[in-house]
Amino acid sequence: MENKLTKEEVMHVARLARINVSEEEIERYQVTLKQLLDEVKKIRDVKDCDKELMFSPTTHLARTREDEVDNMVSFDEIKKNAPKVVGDYIEVPVMIND
Amino acid sequence: MTKYLDLSIIEINELLKSKKIKPIDLVNECFDRIEANKSLNAYITLNKEEAIKTAIELENKEVDNILFGIPIAIKDNILTKDLRTTCASRMLENFNPIYDATVIKKIKEKNMIIIGKTNMDEFAMGSTSRTSYFKAPLNPWNQDMITGGSSGGSAAAISARTVLLSLGSDTGGSIRQPSAYTGIVGMKPTYGRVSRYGVIAFASSLDQLGPMTRNVYENALLLNAIVGKDELDLTSVEREEEDFTRYIGKDIKGLKIAVPNYFMSDIVSDEIILKIKEVIKLLEQAGAKVDYIDVPYLNNAVTLYQIIAMGEASSNLARFDGTRFGYSYPNPKNLDELYTKTREEGFGAEVKRRIMVGSYLLSGDNAKEYYDKALEIRDDMKKSFDKVFESYDLIIGPTTTTTAYKQTEALDDPLKSFMDDVLVIPVNMAGLPGLNVPVGFSKDKLPIGMHIIGNSFEEAKMYMLASYIENKLNLNLNPEGENHE
Repeated sequence: MENKLTKEEVMHVARLARINVSEEEIERYQVTLKQLLDEVKKIRDVKDCDKELMFSPTTHLARTREDEVDNMVSFDEIKKNAPKVVGDYIEVPVMIND
Repeated sequence: MTKYLDLSIIEINELLKSKKIKPIDLVNECFDRIEANKSLNAYITLNKEEAIKTAIELENKEVDNILFGIPIAIKDNILTKDLRTTCASRMLENFNPIYDATVIKKIKEKNMIIIGKTNMDEFAMGSTSRTSYFKAPLNPWNQDMITGGSSGGSAAAISARTVLLSLGSDTGGSIRQPSAYTGIVGMKPTYGRVSRYGVIAFASSLDQLGPMTRNVYENALLLNAIVGKDELDLTSVEREEEDFTRYIGKDIKGLKIAVPNYFMSDIVSDEIILKIKEVIKLLEQAGAKVDYIDVPYLNNAVTLYQIIAMGEASSNLARFDGTRFGYSYPNPKNLDELYTKTREEGFGAEVKRRIMVGSYLLSGDNAKEYYDKALEIRDDMKKSFDKVFESYDLIIGPTTTTTAYKQTEALDDPLKSFMDDVLVIPVNMAGLPGLNVPVGFSKDKLPIGMHIIGNSFEEAKMYMLASYIENKLNLNLNPEGENHE
């Protein structure tokens, strides 16, 4: 079995994660991601007792809150951490690719 | 230099009540000690001005609880209003929260004083705190060694006695493992005990906050202050109020204790096995019944953790996109470039690797093949723990497989950070409480820790055993002190 991923495989995974990767990084990820994925794949060999899934240790039932407005923060506070603000809006770049 | 910080919290409380000292005396001493231990890199941000202000305000208030005026350090993934919270990442280098986490509200209600935010692995991903964007914290027992992680800053801050209490978070051992490496007491409570509201999420079904302290009693005191159902965290659990110190000092005779054989297998160093066996002998002499047993699935915990933690992390960290807060790539051509370049430059190598693997594991058919399978095994593991607790009160073993290792060791091994937590991860999988209590030192004078696991919501019983061990061994756990045998 090849001991590293192909460049294309790394690019695919990076795309899924919405992370840009440089050429130099791709080479490193070819090795390290492969090491991690090989570990993870060991799960296929584990024999399980029953088919029940455990999503969370919480055993109580989730319930809905009362539909009441509470715990509000002002836009003035929110915009303190926003990278770009124009008036009462957070500015983002154009959504359509050039 | 004054030495109030070497007194117990009970003694300090008496001095505060009788007005022999003021909170400001404690605060000043903390900052003196932090300055003297600057090279440890335990803190990312200090809260000096605000802490002094709070301490002076407290002079006019009645000392109404045991934690009144006590300085505390907070792991930097817990939101503190108007106090920078970085998660040890470039992504949040300049992030100032606009609200307090629920635990911070509780800490402020008790009039504890927040001294600063502690160093950690970036987004709590790591076992050494070396993935911090702000340089790794150093182990007070030997500065060439790691503190462990991810709550390495909180561990170093307590171990070096720069502060009396600290808070950490534990997703796969991040409270207990650094506590073992630095010779302090660290408790990961039952999942749902402590509200996670305002904690920067890593793996939501595993994350839990807990106290890291000098000793068992003070650990239980801090747990008393932070537990409780919270409307803002629907996984938090409603429980009757209890005092976690209530069994401390009680007789352990008749206690039934299980030691999983896997925890004592050849994955653990001989030195540590020997030390744990010495403690087991002490417990048997005190009338506890100790059995070595097999617990199925423990050896699968790391694989489970990799799938579940990386999967959940990839989803939780999707929010860091350069739009509303945090680092933002300047002048992107379009929205896609804003996302991909922000994440490339804002996250460090370990975080990116985990997000990528997590995204892959949750994509398409992989979700069924890996993630669902992991959740099945997780359920089996929980059931095998349930079975143990039908016959036993507590489970014990070593917390770590080795003592703290060199800062320069295993930097290129992406698996090492998972293997360091092999003994502590199963607890997070099952949502159980786990605690580290120091039990001695290696020949290199580095701390060794014992891991105590309880059934859900049985923290008080764990403190009972831990305090018995602490009392019996009577170790000198101050790195500056003598007699570290």
